[in-house]
Amino acid sequence: MFQGFRQAMAWVHTWFGLVLGFVLMAAFFFGALSVFDREIDRWAIPATRFEPQPMPSFDAVLRPAFERIQPTPEAIEAMRPRVDGPMPAQYDTVGTWSAYTTHRDPVLQLFAGFVVPNARHAGDLLWADATIDPRDGRPLPDDRLKVGSGFFFPLHYGLTLDWRNLGIWIVGLSALVMLAALATGVVMHRHLFREFFTFRPDRARLRSVLDLHNLTGVVALPFHFFFALTGLLIFAATYYFPVGHTQLHELHDLNARLEAGRTGLPHERAGVAAGLADVDAMVADARRRWAEDGKAGDVGFLVLQHVGDANGYVSVYRAGTDRIALVGDGIHYRAATGELIREDPAPTPVERMAQFLTGLHLQHFRHWLLRWLYVLGGLAGAVCIATGFVFFVEKRKRQHARQGRQGARVVDALAVAAVTGMVLAALGILVANRLLPEDLPARATWERCAFWGTWMAALLHAAWRSAPVAQGLPNPAWREQATAIAVLAVSAAVLNWITTGDHLLRTLGAGNWPVAGVDLALLATAAIAAAGAWRLRRRARAVATPRHAVGPEPRHA
Amino acid sequence: MSHDEATAMSRASPAIASATGRRRGLRFASRVLVAVLGGYAFAWGVVAAGTALMYAAGMGFHDAEFLSSLLGVLALLVALLWAFAVRREWLAWVVLPGGGTVLAGVASLVQALLA
Repeated sequence: MFQGFRQAMAWVHTWFGLVLGFVLMAAFFFGALSVFDREIDRWAIPATRFEPQPMPSFDAVLRPAFERIQPTPEAIEAMRPRVDGPMPAQYDTVGTWSAYTTHRDPVLQLFAGFVVPNARHAGDLLWADATIDPRDGRPLPDDRLKVGSGFFFPLHYGLTLDWRNLGIWIVGLSALVMLAALATGVVMHRHLFREFFTFRPDRARLRSVLDLHNLTGVVALPFHFFFALTGLLIFAATYYFPVGHTQLHELHDLNARLEAGRTGLPHERAGVAAGLADVDAMVADARRRWAEDGKAGDVGFLVLQHVGDANGYVSVYRAGTDRIALVGDGIHYRAATGELIREDPAPTPVERMAQFLTGLHLQHFRHWLLRWLYVLGGLAGAVCIATGFVFFVEKRKRQHARQGRQGARVVDALAVAAVTGMVLAALGILVANRLLPEDLPARATWERCAFWGTWMAALLHAAWRSAPVAQGLPNPAWREQATAIAVLAVSAAVLNWITTGDHLLRTLGAGNWPVAGVDLALLATAAIAAAGAWRLRRRARAVATPRHAVGPEPRHA
Repeated sequence: MSHDEATAMSRASPAIASATGRRRGLRFASRVLVAVLGGYAFAWGVVAAGTALMYAAGMGFHDAEFLSSLLGVLALLVALLWAFAVRREWLAWVVLPGGGTVLAGVASLVQALLA
């Protein structure tokens, strides 16, 4: 089947890379955008363009906001199949309240889980959430699409294909293929190394594409490897290898019982009503304890468990802005009395490794240069895959043209859609975000439609313009879509100015970096795309001119 | 080979070529199948057996689960590549699903002894 090890590895690299490369493009590109998901949210939801805020006071802000939260009718409907008998008329037993923020969030997300008495699985809660302005507790509209954290971010790990977590499985398989492509690429590279010294003037274009493929693959190799690996690990125990919930659930439950005994944190409600001591005092005490250990003291996650019950407790977790490892350093208090139950012990060596590997991927740290390096790494991954597509096409298209085959043409059209089309789709949702009326019903759905519609249009355009590839010529869709990127990117920045008044001079002057950063990135994208389109047009003209210069006579030349 | 035979051969050759092409396609498909599904079965076994054995050896459950997942992902990568590199494909069909089953059996056995 294969003549040897190298050939087998090359087959895996080429064909797995080709088929799942389209998914990998999306994972890398939207992953790179997700590094600045909160900043894109600010751009897309102008009402939230203010400074990031610390966790507010429980008594003054959080408690009234928590008490307002009720489950939505949709959530109640979704829960119905998991409940024996009718759903309760009202939800007043709170299983858990929590608030989550990061050092980049001006708005605060609140979550509430309500106890449903006859739920099939004990502990299955009915969830509701809310977004508030932490400065005064004012509720913010929850139906605005958070384009960064609510769309680009889930797109990069699950393609927003939620049915049976299909998207998460497809991206997981692609991440595995990324690891395989890196390993097989190294095997092939040794072989290719000799060929670098072979002079192939007629294939200069092919060589430069391959050089860029190898360069972006090799220079960022550790980045690509660790992001594919840690991405898989973050979901491994939940989705890919859920042994603890399936085959080994008895072992998991045994451990949970022993654990609850060891930590003193009650797993269940006592069924006895109890009051709530001063939560702000508990938070102050937790911050004092962190400070004593020399740790940055911002609260990232505040959880009240078994609210209103004698078994209730309050957990205060730290926002790990001062290190790569994703830490919690949780401190837990008895809710009724405020006495300390326990401090999370120092992590075990395996926990330290887990915190480092997940933290490396999820980036809760405060370090802007490192964040930009992540973006560059992600974009290098996208360039590596894109040049892989181009190399695949360039290597075959003349041969396919001679044989009258359509393979190179189809792959090239898909590559146009996956490269320039994907950028166009991302710009499409940003332009729609600024153009759609503020009070449009189901606005978020329209924004998503703009994204998928733009992408579909890009694919159709690439297919429609692909005929020259079957003759061994380039597809003009590449330069036409590059021009469209330049136009749309500038439009998005201008529309932001027109609809909000936040032009670059103002945002830069005020130091409003989230909004200014998105606008600057849009303009940089436009400049790169315009330069690319210009070069492609010049090359197309250079190919076309000699034929015109010598006239129709020497066609055979 | 007579002239007639040669003519008959050349007339039949597209059919033969497409049949060989189909057989070639099936062989690639079965390699992909054993690499992806067989590899997954093997990796599941690694994660399950690793979790159960490390827990039995005194490690915390979630530590054992994480470390085994890491080993499982790397095992899946190696299994995937090996399934293509191995010359005799039937070996991959035996080792990967078979090994996965044995390892998963070990995990269930350890669980039965502990819980």
